[in-house]
Order: sequence, then structure tokens, then C-alpha cells
Amino acid sequence: MLKKIPKWNVVLLTTLLAEIIIFGLINPRFWNINILLNSFNDFVGIAIIAFFVTFVIITGGIDISGGSIIGLTSVVTGLLAQVYGLNIWVAALLAVLVGGLCGLLNGILIAYSKVQAMVITLGGMLLYSGIALVLVGFSGASTYEGISGFSQEFINLANGNLLGIPHSVIVFVVMLLIAYVLLHWTRYGRYIYLTGINQNSAEYSGINTRKIITSTYVLSGLSAGIAGIILTSYLGSSRADFGAEYLMPILTAVVLGGTLITGGKGGVVGTALASIIIGFLKLGLQMGGVQTQYIGLATGMLLIISVAFMGGQKFKLNVRRLLNLKKDRGGNLNA
Amino acid sequence: MAHIKEVKDMSKVKSMTKQREFRTLVFLVLLFVIVGLVNADFISSGNILNATKNSLLYIVLAVGMTFVLLTGEIDISIGAVLGLSASVSGVILRDGGSIFLAVIIAIMIGGVIGLINGLGVTKLKISSFIMTLGMLEIVRVTQVMFTNGKWVENLPENFKHISRMNMFGINVLTIIVILAVILIHFYLSNSRKGRYFAAIGDNEDGAVLIGIPVNRYKVIAFVISGVLASIAGLIFASQIGFISTTAGLGIEMTVIAAAVLGGVSLRGGIGSVIGAAIGAIIMSSINSALVFLKVPAFWNSAISGSLLIIIVVADALIARRANNRTRKERLNARILNYKEEV
Repeated sequence: MLKKIPKWNVVLLTTLLAEIIIFGLINPRFWNINILLNSFNDFVGIAIIAFFVTFVIITGGIDISGGSIIGLTSVVTGLLAQVYGLNIWVAALLAVLVGGLCGLLNGILIAYSKVQAMVITLGGMLLYSGIALVLVGFSGASTYEGISGFSQEFINLANGNLLGIPHSVIVFVVMLLIAYVLLHWTRYGRYIYLTGINQNSAEYSGINTRKIITSTYVLSGLSAGIAGIILTSYLGSSRADFGAEYLMPILTAVVLGGTLITGGKGGVVGTALASIIIGFLKLGLQMGGVQTQYIGLATGMLLIISVAFMGGQKFKLNVRRLLNLKKDRGGNLNA
Repeated sequence: MAHIKEVKDMSKVKSMTKQREFRTLVFLVLLFVIVGLVNADFISSGNILNATKNSLLYIVLAVGMTFVLLTGEIDISIGAVLGLSASVSGVILRDGGSIFLAVIIAIMIGGVIGLINGLGVTKLKISSFIMTLGMLEIVRVTQVMFTNGKWVENLPENFKHISRMNMFGINVLTIIVILAVILIHFYLSNSRKGRYFAAIGDNEDGAVLIGIPVNRYKVIAFVISGVLASIAGLIFASQIGFISTTAGLGIEMTVIAAAVLGGVSLRGGIGSVIGAAIGAIIMSSINSALVFLKVPAFWNSAISGSLLIIIVVADALIARRANNRTRKERLNARILNYKEEV
């Protein structure tokens, strides 16, 4: 049974436990379970996008437009509910669908025109955040203050709790379960891995890889839409620049979670653990008295070091080679 | 026979890359003409010079990015390098240091960060996207630590004057940058070592087999990108006159978009610095074009995003169709030859 758990996930779990112990020793308040559970609010958006960006990266693509889809869905919700007077839940549902449409556009362009995913989602990133700004511009709302005045029920979506467990934790777990079942228990999940390992051979074995690739972007767009709704509810207002700084943490969570950036290998459990690690790291550093603006240093280092380690056993070899740089003239085929 | 065909194919590929830059240039001209039809002030020589001057920053960054993209890697950290070197040299200048010292320090900062990026990518085998993304965050925090989160202001007048100097009515920096772009273009397209960059990106294993020191040239590409990013930081400081903590925030995405618009492929091996420079002018001109068209500024990002997608997808479709046609021609030729032989 133990053998079935990937090694990297064990490493992540150990890191997480070590983190909780160390930060708790620095500031005992860190061990307060309520504070830990409530801190999920700060990274649940990052985590649920990261789950489905994991899908995208396993197929060998990349999706950097998630952050701007958050802003777009947030604005769409705000406009539909507050300016056009639609029922808030209908508005939220429509906004999630808009997120899915954005993902669909990304996916179709990537799968059928075979342009690099990075370029298309970069264009998408500019486009979707641009559309959000345009919508705000037309509605006449102030870009800075955004649209606020949501009903208490909607605010409760992210801020309430069920039997003492914050809603954000529940959303986290539910989305994790959905992603886990899709990726690891269904045929669809196997197809995603196959597409990432070798698209041509997947194509020859009768898998419609284009459809698979498109669907992963749709899922990623939908999850970004859900994250947008949660963030809007959590902060109680909708603004176009929500999620603008999410690009880095999302990719950090996916990559730290053990998913290969070149595709074909990875899993959502790792992503979930990694996003909790990053979230708790931020919380712990803040509680330890580190200013918020310095936390990027820690996450940046974490990203680089973890990827360097995941190079596997080659890491030691690589470090040794780095040390005697002069001997290596570069270009070893077996490197 | 096969040899001749190869040569023919080579010239075909060559003419196609030329077409790509040509298409970008046509697009730039069209942009100016169309906006000029609506508002004639836009195509006045004064405004065109102004537009070039405003895009200098992007051109310099895009040239550096092209080096890295040609080798098949990517450099996300340039925005932070720009910010850090601009604020360090800004502080030196503000505290009465010489311009020479400030320039040297800035270039060293860019070079060292580029070197770290390059070594991480080639020696530790970290994917360049991840490596430079992490570096972006680290360098940005370093800048905040260095400046204590404050703006660097009160730069000396003689430094700010550099960006305003004119020669024959044209900005001196513009002339220098344009000449440099042309020189670099000839280096990359005609010199033996310059061609290494594209060769590595086109086929890395092949480049190794013919004896190109692949890792060294990748590191060099990252160092060049870092150094050019810090030069862009100096230009930024000189043109704007102060450095905020968010200087260059998100500029890397605009620069990648500019390079891609100019026909540089993210897969590596294809592209030229002239194309990237034209792409950079387009990206920065969209801004001022909107002002002249009296379109509200909030349209900016939506328009540049959709332009990027449309142009890149259209280009890919055109290229694929051309590829299919050549493949068909080759196939037909082979069949005809075979029949003749029989």
C-alpha cells in the first residue's frame, strides 16, 4: 500500500509537517487549527486553478491565462448581478461558463492551429484581462474600487463555515476530489497521460488527442471561473485586476507538486500538497514577522530548488558538474 | 539531385522567414496609415520619431529576448532585471556617483543574473520557464529590499539629458539602438558564431553532433538577455526620470508578445532581431494609436491580446499550408522522377 504513494508526495508531506512544526515553534499561534483552516481562504483560488492546470501541463501544454480569467469572471459576476440585476447565483453560474468559454477558445486554438500553448495563453491573458477592463470601463464603475454591494448570502459562499469547517476548505476538498477522480480513476485521465507522454502514439492508438487537449483547457478555464467567484465572494467586490498576481503561485504549486513541465508525469495530490505548503509558508512567514513583499523570495527559491531536486538522482551529478565548470565544455549528449 | 533539392528547400525556408518579417513590417505600416487616415497627426514625422523613441525600451528588451528564444529557451526575468538595475544605478546617480560607474554596475547586475539563469538551465537542467520565473520573483524582492519599497527620484539632470539628446533632429539613443539592431541582425544571420544560436534552437542534438558548444551558447544568450535588460533599465531611468518599485512589472509578457509578433518562434531556431524590433514598435504603438483614435485607454490590452492571437494563428495556418504544398510538390517530383527512371 505504501509503495503505491509516489515518493515525491511523501517528500511533500514531510515538508508540510516540518513546516507546521517549525512555524509553530516560532509562533505557537500557528498551531491553532482555526487559523490554519481559515488560511485556506487565501490560497483556495490558486489551488483549484492549479489542480486543472496540472491536467494541462500533463498533456504537455501550459496555461498562463488563469489569473486573468479570475478577473474577467469576477467582473462578469459583478456586472450581471449589480448592474443588470440578475439573480446572483445565475450570474455566478454564467460567469463560470464565461471562464469555460475562455478556456475553450484557448484549447481550440492550441489543439487545432498547433501554435505553442504559451503564445496562445499569453494572448489570452492579455485579451481576457483586457475584456474585463473594457467591461468595467463601459459599466462606468471605478476601476479602483470595483463593483461591491453583494448580498450576504453570496459573501457567505467563501466566508461562512459548515460545522466549524470554513467553506473554502470544503471547496478545496471537493475540487480536489473531482480532479483526482477525473485524472486517476477514469479512462479520460489515462488519455490525458497518454497524450502527454507521446501525442503521436496516442493519436495512432485511436485517441482524439485534439479533443483531449481542448478539454483540459476548458477544465482549467472553468476552474479559474470558480476561483473568480470564490475570490469575489471572499473579498466582497469584483475588480478586473483580481488574480493578476496568481500566475507565479499557480505554476509553483503545479511544478512543486511533482508534475513535469514537459508533460506526461504528475498528479493532483502533489499539486494539492504543494499549494498547501506554499499557503502555509506565506502564513508562517507573516506570523514570524516577515513583511508580505519579501515572501516572493521564499516562493521563488522554493520553485527553483524543488525543480532542481526533481531532476532526480542526476541532481548531485549536476551540482558536481557545476562546481568544475571549466572541465565541461558543454554539449555532452548523455547529459 | 537530392543535394540540389536541399539547397532549394533551404532557400525556400529563407525566403519564408523574410516574408514573415515583411508581413510584420506591412502590418506596422498599415497600422500607421489607417490610424493616420483617421487622424493625420499620427503620421507626422514628429510623432513617428516619438513612437520609435517610446519603443526603444521594448526594442532593446525584444532583441535580448530573441537571443534566448532562438536557442529554444525563454527568459521571463527581464522585467525584474530592468527594475533592479534601474533602481541600483538610479541610487548611485542620485548619490552623486558618475554615470560611467552606474552603467557598469547595471550591466554587471544584468550579466550576473543572466549567468545564473543560464547555468541553472544548462547545468541543473531546470526548464528555462521555471528557472527565470523563480528568478523574476527573487530579483523583484531584491529590488524592494534594496530600495526599501521607496521610489528612486531626483536623478541628476545630466543623466536625464542623455535620452533627450538630438542629432540631425533625431534622438541619439534611437540612432544608436537602430544601428545596433542592424549590426546584431547581420551577426546573427551572417556570421558563423551568430548562426549557432538559431542552430541550437532548430535542432539541439544536431548542434551537439556538429560540435557547437551548446551549453556555452545558451549561457551566452541568457547573459546577453540580462545585459540588454539592464541597458533597457538605464534607458527607462533616463527617459522617465524616476524609478518606481513596479518599474517593468509585467513587461516580459509584452516583450515576448512583441518577439512573437515579429516572427520569432518560441520553439527556437526561427526569427530575427529586426522582426522582433518591428514587433516591439507595434506593441508600443498600439498605445499611442488608441490615443490618436480617441479610443479609451482601457481597450489597450484587449486589442493587443487579440492582435497577438489573430496574427500568430493566421501565420501558423499560412505556414502549414505552405508546408503541405511543398511536401506535395516534393512527393510529386519524386514520383515523376521514378517514372522517368523506369
